[in-house]
Amino acid sequence: MTTSPLIVLENVEKRFEDRRARRETIALDGLSLGVGEGEFVCLLGPSGCGKSTVLDLLAGFEHPTRGRVTIDGKPVGRPSPDRGIVFQEATLFPWLSVIDNITFASRLAGRPASEYRPRAQELIEMMGLRGFEHYAVYELSGGMRQRAAIARAWISQPLLLLMDEPFGALDAQTRLAMQELLLAAREQRRSTVLFVTHDIEEALFLSDRIAVMSGRPGRIVEEIIVPYPRPRAYQEIVAMPSFGELKRSILATLREQAARPQHATTGSLPHGDDLRSYPRSH
Amino acid sequence: MNASRRFLIGLAAVAGVTLAWEIAGRTHLVEPLLLPPPSEIVTTAIDLARDGYRGTALWQHLALSLARALGAFAAATLVGVPLGLAMGAAPGFGAVLDPFVQFLRPLPKLALIPLVILWFGIGETSKVLLIFISAALSIIVGTAAAVSTVQRQRIRAGRALGAHGLALFRYVILPHILPELFVTLRLSFGIGWTTLIAAEMIASDAGIGWMVVNAGSYLRTDVVMLGIVILGGTGYALDLALVGLQRWAAPWSGRA
Ligand SMILES: Nc1ncnc2c1ncn2[C@@H]1O[C@H](COP(=O)(O)OP(=O)(O)OP(=O)(O)O)[C@@H](O)[C@H]1O
Ligand SMILES: [Mg+2]
Repeated sequence: MTTSPLIVLENVEKRFEDRRARRETIALDGLSLGVGEGEFVCLLGPSGCGKSTVLDLLAGFEHPTRGRVTIDGKPVGRPSPDRGIVFQEATLFPWLSVIDNITFASRLAGRPASEYRPRAQELIEMMGLRGFEHYAVYELSGGMRQRAAIARAWISQPLLLLMDEPFGALDAQTRLAMQELLLAAREQRRSTVLFVTHDIEEALFLSDRIAVMSGRPGRIVEEIIVPYPRPRAYQEIVAMPSFGELKRSILATLREQAARPQHATTGSLPHGDDLRSYPRSH
Repeated sequence: MNASRRFLIGLAAVAGVTLAWEIAGRTHLVEPLLLPPPSEIVTTAIDLARDGYRGTALWQHLALSLARALGAFAAATLVGVPLGLAMGAAPGFGAVLDPFVQFLRPLPKLALIPLVILWFGIGETSKVLLIFISAALSIIVGTAAAVSTVQRQRIRAGRALGAHGLALFRYVILPHILPELFVTLRLSFGIGWTTLIAAEMIASDAGIGWMVVNAGSYLRTDVVMLGIVILGGTGYALDLALVGLQRWAAPWSGRA
């Protein structure tokens, strides 16, 4: 039985135009990807290939210039807390304490404190932030900020998680703990996850499927089914012979894509045009 | 350098300059009529505090100036901040108002005095209006500029958490610009306070600004100096109060 996937990106093109500088960047071109309900998909690809742009399209921050992006069969609407987004950069609000940041969406939606307080407390425990509830953001370390940002996205219990290199800023031990936490939380809620990373081992440990992107303009060049059954234990998985093989093969694909000349911009005007208006010195 | 150390160094510098100034006056290195020494200014202050200046008590001069400046500044804040926010948030509205604001803002407000007198007479309205105009224009420009500095990712974070329209404005944009808003208010208050003298030149008979101008025409340099010290000191104190308010309302300023 094949049901249509929860997320569908079909032949998507995304161009960014900068009229003032008279240039445009083609971030994505001919990208197609489906993510089934409850599936965990990792996006891998060279820097600047359009991974964050894919998440922006799904979050509703950007719209494709061509092609189709649907969630649950419907075009993506305006951003909403039912898609839990964890950004690549830290985006906590510095004027709110840790707890107020985490409960921001709940309070804005007018939920009763009796509902979100216990959940916030649970997330704070989970993220190892106990005792820091009333700290200001500038009093937290970079990794703590990222963990608080994850709690802030999770409090609305979104069924779709869009995560952009969320653990990139963490040390190895904390990262592993957070990865295990993410897997456990997902196991419980059966949520769908699209997860951007540049760490092949992370992708192999977490996901059901890895989509490897080409250099810019980005599209999917390879999809790898990750064969490991769940629940997964990190030490067991890294010890499997197939782990090393998969890692080597993905690395080779990534190397190849990163080495390919990246198409930067298509100047809509030839350089000669600018030169002509340039004053001559003699 | 920590705050108390900075304060002590500043205090020492002021004491040093005051001492040098006093010595210069006593040894007639400088003609006391041109630059009365600090001790004479203190004596004048005591005299004026007791007898008043030209029929008005010294504290009343100060209270009148403060009322004019603070009243105008409060009105300028109430009008300027919402206008600046609207200009920053709605580009179309901003485009309409911008040419007028940018034309008026750098204009020396002294040039407006004849018109203001013609339109509003020589009463309090004209004086307060002049301070109001100069402060409000700079508040509008500063606030609109602050709104345009909100980073895209921060707006996106707000929208992703369900803040749209007015809620986005109230819970994301406004707190985001609060630190910068205080900088704008401090600068604008400085501008309003300097306009005070110009405002009190409009057929006035009281106020510290008026006192300085009036004493100047009678060569009472000691009163002029006293007025300057009061104007500068009050402006300084009010700026410190604004800094304190900023620390209280936006403690994350400069740290995020
Ligand atoms: N708002 C924008 N305006 C113009 N160009 C943009 C914009 N957003 C992204 N781009 C361009 O799109 C391309 C893809 O950017 P994106 O951020 O999606 O890359 P990425 O794969 O997430 O890279 P990284 O791994 O370094 O985070 C880049 O060339 C970038 O310059
Ligand atoms: Mg990115």
